[in-house]
Amino acid sequence: MLLFLWLACSAAVLAQERIVSGSIKDSNGAGLPGVTVFVKNTTTGTSSNTEGKYSISVGNNAILAFSFIGYVTQEIAVGNLSLIDVILAEDIQQLGEVVVTSLGIERNTKSLQSSVTKVPGASLTQARENNFGASIQGRVAGVNVSKAGTGPAGSSRVIIRGNKSLGGSNQPLYVVDGIPMDNTNFGQSGVWGGVDQGDGLSSINPDDIESISVLKGANAAALYGSRGGYGVINITTKKGTARKGIGIEFNSNYVFEKVINYLDLQTEYGNGGLVNSIPSDPTSPRIAAKPATQAQAFDWGNNGWGPKLDGSPNIMWDGETRAYSLVGVDKNYDSFFRTGNSFTNTLSLSGGSDKQTFRFSFSDMRSTAIIPNSGFDRKNLSLSTNGKFGKKVTFSAKVLYSNENAKNRPMVSDSPGNAVQALMQLSPNQDVNDMRGDPNKLGAVPFGVTTVDSKGEGEEYQLSGNLWNQNPWWAAHQFINSSVRDRFITSGQMRFDITSFLYLQGRIGMDYYNRKSKGLTPQGTGYQRGGNASEAVDMVREINQEWMLGFDKAFGKINVTSFVGGNKMVRKSESIGAYGSNFNVPFFASVNNTGSQNFGYGYGASGINSLFGSAEVSYAGYLYVTATARNDWFSVLNPKSNHKLYPSIGSSFVFTDAFKNLPEILSFGKVRAAWGQVATANVGAYAGNLTYGLNGQGHLGIPMAGFSSGSNIPNPDLVPALSTEIEFGTELRFLENRLGLDLTYYSQKTTDDILNATISIGSGFSSTSINIGELSNKGIEILLTGTPVKGDLTWDVSLNLAKNTNKVVALNPGINELIIEEPRTRTVFIKHIVGQPYGMITGWIQKTDPNGTPVFTSTGEVVQSDKYEILGNGVAKLTGGLNNALAYKQFNLTFLIDFKFGGDIYSGTNVRLLENGLTKESLIGRNGELTVTGVTQTGTDGEGKAIYAPFTRTLNVDEAGSYWGSVGERDEAHFIYDASYLKLRQFTFGYELPSSLLSKTPIKTLGLSFVARNLAILYKNTPNIDPEASYQSGAAQGLDYFGVPASRTYGFNLRATF
Amino acid sequence: MKHIFKLILSALLVIILVAGCDTDALHELNINPNAVNKIDMNYFFTAAELGLASGGSAGDNRYIDWRTNIGMFAHCTQQLSTASTGLLCVGDKYIDNDPEVSNAPFQFWLPDVGKNTAEILKQTGKGGFSEGKNLNMRQATRILRAFNFHRLTDMYGSVPYSEANKGIEGIFFPKYDKQKDIYTDVLKELDEATAALSASNADEGFAVADFIYNGDIAKWKKWGYSIMLRCAMRISNVDATMAATYVTKAVAGGVFTSNDDNVWIKMAIGPSEWTNQNGISRGMYPGDGGQANESFMSKTLIDWLKGANPASVADDDPRLMILSGGIVEWTASAYTPYPGGTDPLNQKGLPPGVDQSMLDAAAGKPVDRDMTFSKVNFNLLQDDEPFRLMTWSEVEFLMAEALERSIGSGITGTAQSHYEKGVKGAMQMWTPYDASFVVSDAAVTAYLATYPYGVTKSKLAMIGDQMWVSHFMNWYEAWSEWRRTGYPALVPVNYPGNDTGGTIPVRLRLPASEVSGNPNYSGSTLPDEITTKVWWDGGAE
Repeated sequence: MLLFLWLACSAAVLAQERIVSGSIKDSNGAGLPGVTVFVKNTTTGTSSNTEGKYSISVGNNAILAFSFIGYVTQEIAVGNLSLIDVILAEDIQQLGEVVVTSLGIERNTKSLQSSVTKVPGASLTQARENNFGASIQGRVAGVNVSKAGTGPAGSSRVIIRGNKSLGGSNQPLYVVDGIPMDNTNFGQSGVWGGVDQGDGLSSINPDDIESISVLKGANAAALYGSRGGYGVINITTKKGTARKGIGIEFNSNYVFEKVINYLDLQTEYGNGGLVNSIPSDPTSPRIAAKPATQAQAFDWGNNGWGPKLDGSPNIMWDGETRAYSLVGVDKNYDSFFRTGNSFTNTLSLSGGSDKQTFRFSFSDMRSTAIIPNSGFDRKNLSLSTNGKFGKKVTFSAKVLYSNENAKNRPMVSDSPGNAVQALMQLSPNQDVNDMRGDPNKLGAVPFGVTTVDSKGEGEEYQLSGNLWNQNPWWAAHQFINSSVRDRFITSGQMRFDITSFLYLQGRIGMDYYNRKSKGLTPQGTGYQRGGNASEAVDMVREINQEWMLGFDKAFGKINVTSFVGGNKMVRKSESIGAYGSNFNVPFFASVNNTGSQNFGYGYGASGINSLFGSAEVSYAGYLYVTATARNDWFSVLNPKSNHKLYPSIGSSFVFTDAFKNLPEILSFGKVRAAWGQVATANVGAYAGNLTYGLNGQGHLGIPMAGFSSGSNIPNPDLVPALSTEIEFGTELRFLENRLGLDLTYYSQKTTDDILNATISIGSGFSSTSINIGELSNKGIEILLTGTPVKGDLTWDVSLNLAKNTNKVVALNPGINELIIEEPRTRTVFIKHIVGQPYGMITGWIQKTDPNGTPVFTSTGEVVQSDKYEILGNGVAKLTGGLNNALAYKQFNLTFLIDFKFGGDIYSGTNVRLLENGLTKESLIGRNGELTVTGVTQTGTDGEGKAIYAPFTRTLNVDEAGSYWGSVGERDEAHFIYDASYLKLRQFTFGYELPSSLLSKTPIKTLGLSFVARNLAILYKNTPNIDPEASYQSGAAQGLDYFGVPASRTYGFNLRATF
Repeated sequence: MKHIFKLILSALLVIILVAGCDTDALHELNINPNAVNKIDMNYFFTAAELGLASGGSAGDNRYIDWRTNIGMFAHCTQQLSTASTGLLCVGDKYIDNDPEVSNAPFQFWLPDVGKNTAEILKQTGKGGFSEGKNLNMRQATRILRAFNFHRLTDMYGSVPYSEANKGIEGIFFPKYDKQKDIYTDVLKELDEATAALSASNADEGFAVADFIYNGDIAKWKKWGYSIMLRCAMRISNVDATMAATYVTKAVAGGVFTSNDDNVWIKMAIGPSEWTNQNGISRGMYPGDGGQANESFMSKTLIDWLKGANPASVADDDPRLMILSGGIVEWTASAYTPYPGGTDPLNQKGLPPGVDQSMLDAAAGKPVDRDMTFSKVNFNLLQDDEPFRLMTWSEVEFLMAEALERSIGSGITGTAQSHYEKGVKGAMQMWTPYDASFVVSDAAVTAYLATYPYGVTKSKLAMIGDQMWVSHFMNWYEAWSEWRRTGYPALVPVNYPGNDTGGTIPVRLRLPASEVSGNPNYSGSTLPDEITTKVWWDGGAE
């Protein structure tokens, strides 16, 4: 903005012929300060003052362009007018004229050579997500957002133009007003379960966001250096503007959250097990039976392999006799999940003079989740100020403070403390209400109750002999996984205009946070009766120091904008944790009260030094050529190979400005091309050093040593990986901008990718870092915008679509596969496979004979394949969204439909539900109606090859249960689903009070909206689960295992300005 | 105003200078303050010793014991039984439904003991930074490594050996060696290492680091020769010549002579339950893993311990109430015998290979397992219980067998005398678990008189049975000795839907990451099944 203003001011020196003035207002009638007013096809421009008034000198036949962030640019032919008043419409088409690009510099979109998309902050605040990353979903072509199914404080995975690295995070760099922000994830759920500890994005208050711009191409991101290699998301926060008095804005948002029940389970058979049909004869065929005793009910747990529900009396796990009849999942969902809510209030004050402006805001969010005892609160405070000293010095300073309080992050995947896992697996006749136990300590054994497993008062009221199967209430209410984070993102910037065309700028920014986390496995828990507790503090500090020397000057029709600069980044992290198990004083949940205690300490520091430069030369405002270069030095690499110089070059040509005789239907036309490189180094602090450290606190007082790198072999010869991208694009607008098309093709390739290659455990280690990977992404992005109806009723619509084709080109020589992750079923691996896209889902399938006939055991069970076969891929190929905005007088309505196609999901939830006799499929065979046909192995021939014989068997109920069990264990293709979906992601309906009604009040504007998210799923193929049920935001995409169920939110948003 | 400009200009210049290419500071940033480039190799030795117990020198001690030692071997040798049909019933019912059971030893012993011993041998060897130092500790390390790899190949047959643990040297995918070649080298290593141990070498911290023998060289030699004897006997069915050579060498070198020589890995309550505690105890303990309420004493073992006449206490094995804790209610906070639960006459084992409905069917009424069957003795399963690795009794039984089968030469005394010493050693070795587990000499003598050598059963069967009982809680060896000798004569179960066709598993399966991820793994070496016999068990080399 500064640069822009400065440009505009210096250009205004050139004399023009007459003065045009007027006022600029928004659709509510409020004056818009700071709007850029341009004389089209010249470099003449100004901006509106504090009240939205402007005046500018123009020549004859001039066309004035009014542009402002977040609003649709308007062009008006001056003719002989001298007073031109303008009302700017909010931009829902994302076609803003000015976007923030590298290093916080605002650029006219005309000059951009690669695709940069802007999202106005307003679209993220009405119907909001706690983690703002999730709200970008469906808004930007080529940005694939996956929100992990881990509850309100969970993380999101944001991937721009495909996964570019086999080993890196692949997530973009987030930059807040020019200061890079740490987005560390403090933990993900894996094969053994765990908690999504959230990411850095959750600190951001959406109300502070003016706009975000997404820099997708290597060319656009090149100047951010290595960390921008996976794209950059620039967050521009709101600033104060010069105005009379203090502007007050108040926003209040209240929404409810309701669970969505996708479970469609069998309702006919209850809890039970198999017993001999003739009790005295152990060889007699087995039949399904209800439990005969409390002990047996407890022993059989909660599976659904019992007999048909008949309403007869039935003894249950707690010794009570209840009718053997349907309770069902709907009722259990109603009993267990609650209506969550989220209440956010934001107050901001802004104001200033032409010398100095400020903005202050305070925001308070309180939310409770659908899972009992879980929620997320956040307080944000921001203060920013911009000022001028005389004519040559400008400065700005900013502090963003956030306090986040995640109250009990839900455990997901195979965590024993996963309440959802415990709830979903109840059999049809089990009522979760019967499991509440002690009303003062939910899930605990009540006073005076004797349990089968001799648990005492206050210990877990367990439903079954399986110690790992928790009581859902106990899991939700007694386990603790909480964290509190205090965070400061602060920056100061100063700029000195040496001459009218030369400036020097310096900036220091810091992202600092302190995160305190706490965990508790309560005493009396089945699998860990002694209990354990942990306390940890993490501190992260990243400081960026940057300088820049800039040169901007026009030489006739040629304009030069250039700079050189340097940056020094240092990141330090430190963690201290204490862990203890087996509480001494009963139910006194303190680490100090544990029988065995230990601690951990971690420290890491790394840095990057950089020099960079950029030069843009434009001709007559329609031809632009930009070249950049950057050199990074990485502390984590060996000095002899720790640096890389990488360039970019691009050009754009606005042919509608260059050629005057084009058909009138075409209002704007531009073509662009860019090529760029980015070096990256996904190496942790010290990860290249082979050093020794000490293991824990030793044994018997004797120190024990190990390798500092743990199970990874450090590689001192790593060099930075290089991503090279070329892109071509065009932007066309027709019929006076009523119809627009933005089309981009890109082709990207990463070479020398650094990856932690899985190696044989026989080597003593499980991975090594190597520079070997190569992968490519090719794709197209389409943005279609239109205004089908304009007038009293205005309807704006935009459709964004992106298709990405990813391919792993090479891994280590001789190695075709790399194992990334496995789910708890341990029958599936996520792998990178040469020639396939990133992150393939592979697993056992049913073995077939050479003719392709399925192979069974002699008792009719499925025989598994000799090796893991490719089953699918968790990354969607086609993503996009359809945005609609309708405005009629004081009413407005928006909705977003987003979609993903071409991805798959492996559902561990469905595996377990089937094995436990709970899915509808498990009904098949309970009455002898299941016949399997294929072949079975009868022996081996002389060469050791299997001999197969045709095989058909009608299974009895015992065998049918084993058959479905064998399908769960050995035929994982059965549980791969197409994860494509179409969702009504967001809906708002609002009313703005007419200003006439408010004229006698201090209120300037007042708007009320009904807002909703995830209102409906319009298309899906995944039984029992949400297609977005992945429990990880890491590399292992496409794995579902009892994550937090999907939910919908709806409520109201009130916005008032004073 | 001028001053302000100057101030700002100088501030900007400072930033430029700071943000320049001060690469020295950048490189210094990469020095880890919590790591060193050289370290006393004794610290690796302590880690290696601890890792022999549960593979947990870096944590996670419970995993392998729970899954493999208990879940697979305690059950398939019919010392424990479970009515469970879920995971961890593979040993009891031969349902191969959990790859972790099979994979654990490979995943723990190679990267833990394997890696630590390899690093010691590298740094104390040619070109290492401790070259020429720690001479005795180096030889002791070779013994640990030999022990580790013989145990590993016993599980899987062909495993990485000659190229194993060379990741740092760039061998990321080691080749698989044949079991015969591994045994040949292990025996050679033991031979060289025991010979090279010398009391005249400087201690150099070994006594402190070695919490097994506190640097006692004579004891290390005995252990080295005792492992040699074990390994030699293990291959005796398939390579009589090599077996004879090394039995002779081992006996000449001097093997264990009393329970004072037994190898115990001492454990502790803390600081970390994952690193310092006993993995068997953690897997079994109701306050932790809780397997003790799932896995009961097996009918096979209880019946054996109760002797020929189940109605008489007089003919019982004195270990009956050491191994069995009785019929008890065992919770994290209390261990309460049911009435009569600690009466030896009332001890009852759970039959192998059954589930609850089979139990109910057999009894004709619902059976409460807790109130019916004996559990492993609580006093063997404290969290800081020492981990038993190898004992004198084993050595005596091996010598008795060698004499009976005329393998090697130089063993003094008769087979019977070695058998009887073995029984005595095996009965009197339990006191480190609990001081009350005393078996008097008189009790041993009376037992030996009740079951005279070679009378009630064949000599080899008696040796084999005693070996089996002596390996209670060291189920790896109970399983290997049963595979080798066929004793005791276990009756396999045939649970519906089992994966072996009703035969006791004789091998573990390799991790899928090896089978499908290591290009140097060749599936043709041995079919990767739990029914494939390893070389010394009569399978392919």
